[in-house]
Amino acid sequence: MVGGNIDKIHLLGIAFSLTILLSVFFLVRERMLKEKYSLVWLLIGLFTLVMSAFENLMDSFSELIGVSYPPSAFFAILIACAYLLLLNMSVSISGLKAHNKALTQELGLTKLRLEELEKKIEKAGL
Amino acid sequence: MKKGSILIVIPAFNEQNNILRVIRDIEESIPEADILVINDCSVDKTSSVARLAEGVKVVDLPCNLGIGGAVQTGFKYAYAQGYQYMVQIDGDGQHIPQEVSKLVAVMQQSGCDMVIGSRFLDIRSYRPPLARRLGIKLFYLLFKVLINTKVTDSTSGFRLYNRKSIEILSRIYPADYPEPDAIVVLKKHGLQIREVGVRMREREHGHSSITAIKSPYYMAKVILSILFSCTRTRW
Repeated sequence: MVGGNIDKIHLLGIAFSLTILLSVFFLVRERMLKEKYSLVWLLIGLFTLVMSAFENLMDSFSELIGVSYPPSAFFAILIACAYLLLLNMSVSISGLKAHNKALTQELGLTKLRLEELEKKIEKAGL
Repeated sequence: MKKGSILIVIPAFNEQNNILRVIRDIEESIPEADILVINDCSVDKTSSVARLAEGVKVVDLPCNLGIGGAVQTGFKYAYAQGYQYMVQIDGDGQHIPQEVSKLVAVMQQSGCDMVIGSRFLDIRSYRPPLARRLGIKLFYLLFKVLINTKVTDSTSGFRLYNRKSIEILSRIYPADYPEPDAIVVLKKHGLQIREVGVRMREREHGHSSITAIKSPYYMAKVILSILFSCTRTRW
């Protein structure tokens, strides 16, 4: 922040980051988002908040990694975060699929057992 | 083979025109076997048609799992019910039940854990289309290099398993195109695999699950999963 003379885009960035952070907070509180998945979102929210609030930070960071145009460095980092998040989602979906398969098989086999049991009961005339 | 020791698993998806004939065929040629149909959430009358056969058990899966998930249901059942042997015979009528005795003979003779019925060890068998044959040839080379096993027909689902392989595959069975990958799984567990030439029929109703559009995907997926299975050290 340079002498309170903040750009509109940075204000927008701060507002956006706060929206993310607050949304995540409320979603977890209402049990619509698992704590496990909230962590990565909170980190992204915090990162964008810090980056928008302190504009010099972005400049020095991009200089550090040798990017002449600071916003590019910012986008690169965000895209990298998005990739990680997507990978995380794919892992979660794979887990869900495996559980789903096991449950489907178990349910099919249990239905068969139930059927056999019903037949036996019927035969016994109970 | 003793009654109650062998289970025939028939995975079936929309096979109302074939299923009953397949079942009758099995009852005739392997009367001592128990039959389990896995109806993989068919949208036709597969389940009710299969139930017309007395004594046949039918598992109706509530969601479509694909061939891998369906057959694995059979492994789970066979394992839980204590069967010593399991044979997969596809619901489309491609596999010929009379040929099961050849699989059994090889297993009894060699003491191996799985016998694959191969279309290519026997010239009387029908020949699949060229593209499929090329794919199978590629798998042959892959298996030779990766797991030092000669398998001429790695995509064949016509197989006999003993209790040891049933136990393993009830836990681990690939989902989409499971046949080649299952060979690696068993091999990596130190099990013995044999092949024997069998006759197979060309399907009369319905179409192969592997269409022209899907076959590059099939190849890529199977090769990838074989490679992953080879590098896996923990199961």
